[in-house]
Amino acid sequence: MSYSILTPRNVALIALSGLLSIILAFVITVIITNQPTIEAVIALPVFWNTFAVNLLIGVSLTLFIAENGWGALRILLTVLLALLIGFVIMVIISKDPVNAYRALLTGPLTRINRWGNWIEDALSLTLVGLAISIVFRARLFSLGAEGQIYLGASAAGLVALNVRDLPVGLLIPLAVTAACLVGFLWGLLPGALRAYLDANELVSTLMLNEIATRIYSLILASIKPASAGYMVSATFAADAVFPRIITGTRLSTAILFVIVAVILTWVFIQRTPFGYQIRMIGANPNFARYGGINTRRTIMLTMAVSGIVAGLVGAYLALSVNQKLILGISGGLAFEGIVVALLARNNVLAVPAMALLYAYLRAGAVIMQSEANVSLEIVRVIQAIIILLVTADAVINFMRVRRPTTPSNPPPRVTQAGQEPSVTL
Amino acid sequence: MIQNILSSIFSAVFLGSILRVVTPILLPSLGALISNRAGVVNVGLEGIMLTAAFTGVVVGAAVLSSSGDSIFAAWVGLFGGVIAGIVMALLLAFFHLQLNGDLVLGGLAINILGSAGTVAVMTQLTGDRSNTSKLVSPTMPSVNLPFLKAIPLIGDFLYTVFGNQNVVTWIALLSVGVLWFFLYRTPTGRHLRAVGENPDATASVGINVRRMRYLALALSGLFASFGGIHLSMGYLTLFQRDMTAGRGFIALATPALGNNQPLGTALASLFFGFADALGIRFGTLQIPPEYAQMIPYAATIIALVINSVSRRRAAVARARQFRETQSAASTSLPPNASTSR
Repeated sequence: MSYSILTPRNVALIALSGLLSIILAFVITVIITNQPTIEAVIALPVFWNTFAVNLLIGVSLTLFIAENGWGALRILLTVLLALLIGFVIMVIISKDPVNAYRALLTGPLTRINRWGNWIEDALSLTLVGLAISIVFRARLFSLGAEGQIYLGASAAGLVALNVRDLPVGLLIPLAVTAACLVGFLWGLLPGALRAYLDANELVSTLMLNEIATRIYSLILASIKPASAGYMVSATFAADAVFPRIITGTRLSTAILFVIVAVILTWVFIQRTPFGYQIRMIGANPNFARYGGINTRRTIMLTMAVSGIVAGLVGAYLALSVNQKLILGISGGLAFEGIVVALLARNNVLAVPAMALLYAYLRAGAVIMQSEANVSLEIVRVIQAIIILLVTADAVINFMRVRRPTTPSNPPPRVTQAGQEPSVTL
Repeated sequence: MIQNILSSIFSAVFLGSILRVVTPILLPSLGALISNRAGVVNVGLEGIMLTAAFTGVVVGAAVLSSSGDSIFAAWVGLFGGVIAGIVMALLLAFFHLQLNGDLVLGGLAINILGSAGTVAVMTQLTGDRSNTSKLVSPTMPSVNLPFLKAIPLIGDFLYTVFGNQNVVTWIALLSVGVLWFFLYRTPTGRHLRAVGENPDATASVGINVRRMRYLALALSGLFASFGGIHLSMGYLTLFQRDMTAGRGFIALATPALGNNQPLGTALASLFFGFADALGIRFGTLQIPPEYAQMIPYAATIIALVINSVSRRRAAVARARQFRETQSAASTSLPPNASTSR
């Protein structure tokens, strides 16, 4: 995995996205603030913040192309195919499919708050995608992220609500650390069960998710202010939340945390001995064991480390997006993270771009539901189709290769020793 | 309070309610069992159950409004739901067996498809995103067994437990026996188990591995569909979004606890039904329902651990036995022959 990010193509792409970002940022700022002159616009922090966010989008896409080369095209084609199938379904169940699809595909760019929702969702999906790709890298089908998000959010929320009189600027780091710690522990538990007791991680993490959501609602019920009409905590104090950076959106300085998380995860996976062990186990567990890797310990810690990142998602949702604890704060985010990780092929640097792509569909779905009266669940149907298409590597071969005679007995590759996940129930 | 709980646990009413609660766990568990035995773990049970539950309600409601015969409508609804569930299972089978897609991810996709697809179609049909209360849907009939009362001493008790159960509950109970007979007493069942034990060896004697796995996944879809139908046309008379509430995932754990045998799986399901029913009982006391709702999930994890520990112990014992017989037999063989497993 040694490559240079600064190839001529990539530099050109980043320069292009920089140019586009300036233009976009200018347009957006003018829309928000109604400033007449260029000088007045440039003087505003909103302009530079918007420029930075747009530039980040460009960098993410460049990274994605740099990581995948022409493979990027194939992944995009897969998504397009899934969208096409989704359109066929829409034609069947909706009266006005064209309008609905227009709302889905252009909606997020039509208003500044919708644009903000898209980026904000992409940030959470980036973090979830990272958490999922860490475990997928080790070929562990752990879906514990959902529960870790809930518990991470409640830990961050409890710290934000209860800790007082800290030196300035320490409350947020403390809340984030608490969330990460809780996520770590909630990942360590199924990790230990899987590593030392062979308990299937898929089932155990799904069960732990259910338990975690119950714990979350118990906590929420206990901290709900008496005046609140529904299940919600008090809004956090100003020093406990990430400051917002673009008016009309919920984007905040938490964006820096996400960037740091991406870089750290990449370093962790690609540049540390432990990351090497994870990749080794994913590639061939037996070889990893013969090579002297303590596979049990590594498996346990992989799931725990993934929990740290998932806990971070909880902190982000609580401290930045909502600025309070709300019921169902995650809302199945972990399962959306699966699609992101799959599209990125568990490649950390490709995760942000895929999160942007998928968050765009999610943001569009909300608009489609309100404007075209089509259930936003249609996007989850498209999600399922994407999963099927991406993981069925043989789709293309199946369509291309038509064998003259199909043998009644397939060759033993049905078992796919290397491919099949180790699901032993 | 504890006395209160204990006395209510051993009442006939409570046992009857366990049977009701256990039905939608037992049926998908049998589905998980049969696919496990063929070596294809069906993670998509949850989505299959939802699809069947929803289709059953919609088909049943449509037939009911046109014919007015609720029993007939219920059976047609059951049929429609089962067909839809099997189609979902076959989709997973096609994806895995024909396209070589990953089975676990495929199962997860089926779950998302079932969960989202039902809500999307429901919204389009009724305009309601949470349930089908606007549709008048039929219920599967109950089986009334008045003769149980005539049995001396325990007659009343038996009648309260078994006398008025839903027909799907009886399908579930009978399925245990039918599945046992199928797996252990028919050639197809033996082939199916052999495919799970050793697909290469099975293929070498001319059994079509792929066809067996298609069959196993289709049958697991059939059982899971019955479970879904019970939820929406027995336990309740409407479809709610995500009404399976993780039962399809719990069903993945029950065969492991039941040693991958039909009867064992049934007993394991009963255990979960007990935990579930206990939870509902707790809810009537002054305890927040969340505590009770956690019980089945915690029980699943504990069961998973117990099973894997006991399985490993069995494997160690087998290996030791194997080594002993090997070393006894191999005194004349070269020394490295006994070390190769």
